[in-house]
Amino acid sequence: MAGCTLTGALSVACFIPGAVTVVHAPNGCAHQTFSMLHALMNEAETKIVPEILVSGLSDKDVIFGGEACLSQALDRAAEKHPELIIVVTSCVPETIGDDCLAVCREHAFADRTLYIPTSGFLGGRAKDGENAALIGLSTLAAPAESIPGTVGIIGEKNLESEVEENFAEVSRLLDLLDLTVTVRFCRNAGIADLRKLGTVSCFILRDGRCADAGRELGKRFNRPVIGEFPRGLSGSIAFLQETGKACGLSADVIAEAISKETEHQKMMLERFANLSESEVCLGVEPFEGTLAVAREALKRLGMTESPEGIKVRLPFYLPVGVSGTMKMLYLWRRAILHG
Amino acid sequence: MRQIALYGKGGIGKSTTSANLSAAFSEMNLDVMQIGCDPKHDSTRMLMHGRWIPTVLEQMYDQKKIKSEDIIYQGFGNIRCVEAGGPEPGIGCAGRGIIATFQLLEKMNSLYGDVIVYDVLGDVVCGGFAMPMRDGYAQEVYLVTSGELMSLYAANNICKAIARISERSTAKCRLAGVICNARNMENEQELVEEFAKRIGSKLICYIPRSNSVRTAEVNQMTVIEHDPTSEQAAVYRDCAKTMLDNTDLRIPTPLELEELEELAREYL
Repeated sequence: MAGCTLTGALSVACFIPGAVTVVHAPNGCAHQTFSMLHALMNEAETKIVPEILVSGLSDKDVIFGGEACLSQALDRAAEKHPELIIVVTSCVPETIGDDCLAVCREHAFADRTLYIPTSGFLGGRAKDGENAALIGLSTLAAPAESIPGTVGIIGEKNLESEVEENFAEVSRLLDLLDLTVTVRFCRNAGIADLRKLGTVSCFILRDGRCADAGRELGKRFNRPVIGEFPRGLSGSIAFLQETGKACGLSADVIAEAISKETEHQKMMLERFANLSESEVCLGVEPFEGTLAVAREALKRLGMTESPEGIKVRLPFYLPVGVSGTMKMLYLWRRAILHG
Repeated sequence: MRQIALYGKGGIGKSTTSANLSAAFSEMNLDVMQIGCDPKHDSTRMLMHGRWIPTVLEQMYDQKKIKSEDIIYQGFGNIRCVEAGGPEPGIGCAGRGIIATFQLLEKMNSLYGDVIVYDVLGDVVCGGFAMPMRDGYAQEVYLVTSGELMSLYAANNICKAIARISERSTAKCRLAGVICNARNMENEQELVEEFAKRIGSKLICYIPRSNSVRTAEVNQMTVIEHDPTSEQAAVYRDCAKTMLDNTDLRIPTPLELEELEELAREYL
């Protein structure tokens, strides 16, 4: 996902029920960002309508300062009686030097207002906005005793079309280890749930995009951090190994989970046995790592790769675990058997 | 139409000099406009007999349909006085304010007359303050400086802006000369004269320090109006005449800091 920090921050903040997000920016700036979010949410068939308010910075505010404009936007947000007001900023207030933190702290709703200094393009790219939002929102949670057997998912890609399928796959793997996801940070989790972040025994990051947030959270709550969702088949085995170890599970428990997963993968591959000995030509890799996942599946099915082979597409998003791989193989089978 | 801009260090006397020059131009039966381009909005006060006129930016955002009489006020000698205005110190963007002011004046076709004097904020801190130079308003730039090192330093920095802007094919901005608004330092005139020479320009006027300036200001007038027969009034008139006759516009060559410091030491 491209765009400035605003897009990234909103892709996190928009998925918190009960929260209102105030974008301190000119109307056009917020509109552009929201249009992009809207398009991606449509693609992902997301039905939520995020509560976003824009401060509507004008030329006058640029010249005389936009602090009053932000304060008025906070007033409007407070009228909705949200559980939380999240404030994100565009490049304009950063350029003219608005003291947004002070405005948020001095507002009547200050105890329920969270300022995330994103600063539009000056704060970096969308990825940096996502991390800033995750780090900012994590301050809602106080350090707590960890509850054994619980994990928290950090930085799910809310605008990805397969977000729920990927979560289901990770939950399936965690179930093999007898681990439960208690916090999805931040995916349709209310403020009360987000405050439980400190109770999980391990953080699992969606992928390397949220590595900055992962580092910060791991340090603050003193918890192990798993760097990403499992990539394909061997990635799932490695994920079980690493997560089980991070959560302090015994070697026997981990070995049993791996054994079950190996069997599951075998059964899944048997469903595609009719692809063996097929010769395919893999398409262009949209994201780094997809080719490796595809080649592993190809090898395990006894297929071969050749420039003269049947052209098959690689999935747009990196296949997560067995379900992601299976989805890819369905697409291949359609191309190989039906053209 | 002559478009003259005075740039220089804050507090060096740009507004006093601008107002007295405008008054002198008006005495020559010229149609004069003075535009204060500083958020302090005190450039035209002496021409307006101490009145703080509403600024363009205040009016722009307080009124839906702004008319020229809302922002242009007639002062001494029928000089049309305008103050751009701007934000309180430490907030907002004054540079953007300057740009918005010029856009409005242009839209209202208010930039006309025989001479327009632009009195611009001392330090060209951002693109907004360079805008009068960049967009062809400030065609003849005069540096106002004393012999003090920091004043020369500021003048030299403005030279850098003029030199850079002048490189553009669309640029009309040139350095027209240096005005020494004296602090009565020893060797001050010689020092400023040499500085002007080294940056590729010339000293066009030496304004001695005079109590008549202070007296006129206390009485909320320019020297030209308050004490028209004084020596100081004659200095401003001579300066105005020299400026009108001046056609020697140049692209300056700013000094390196070491050279500037060495120059200041030479004239101690």
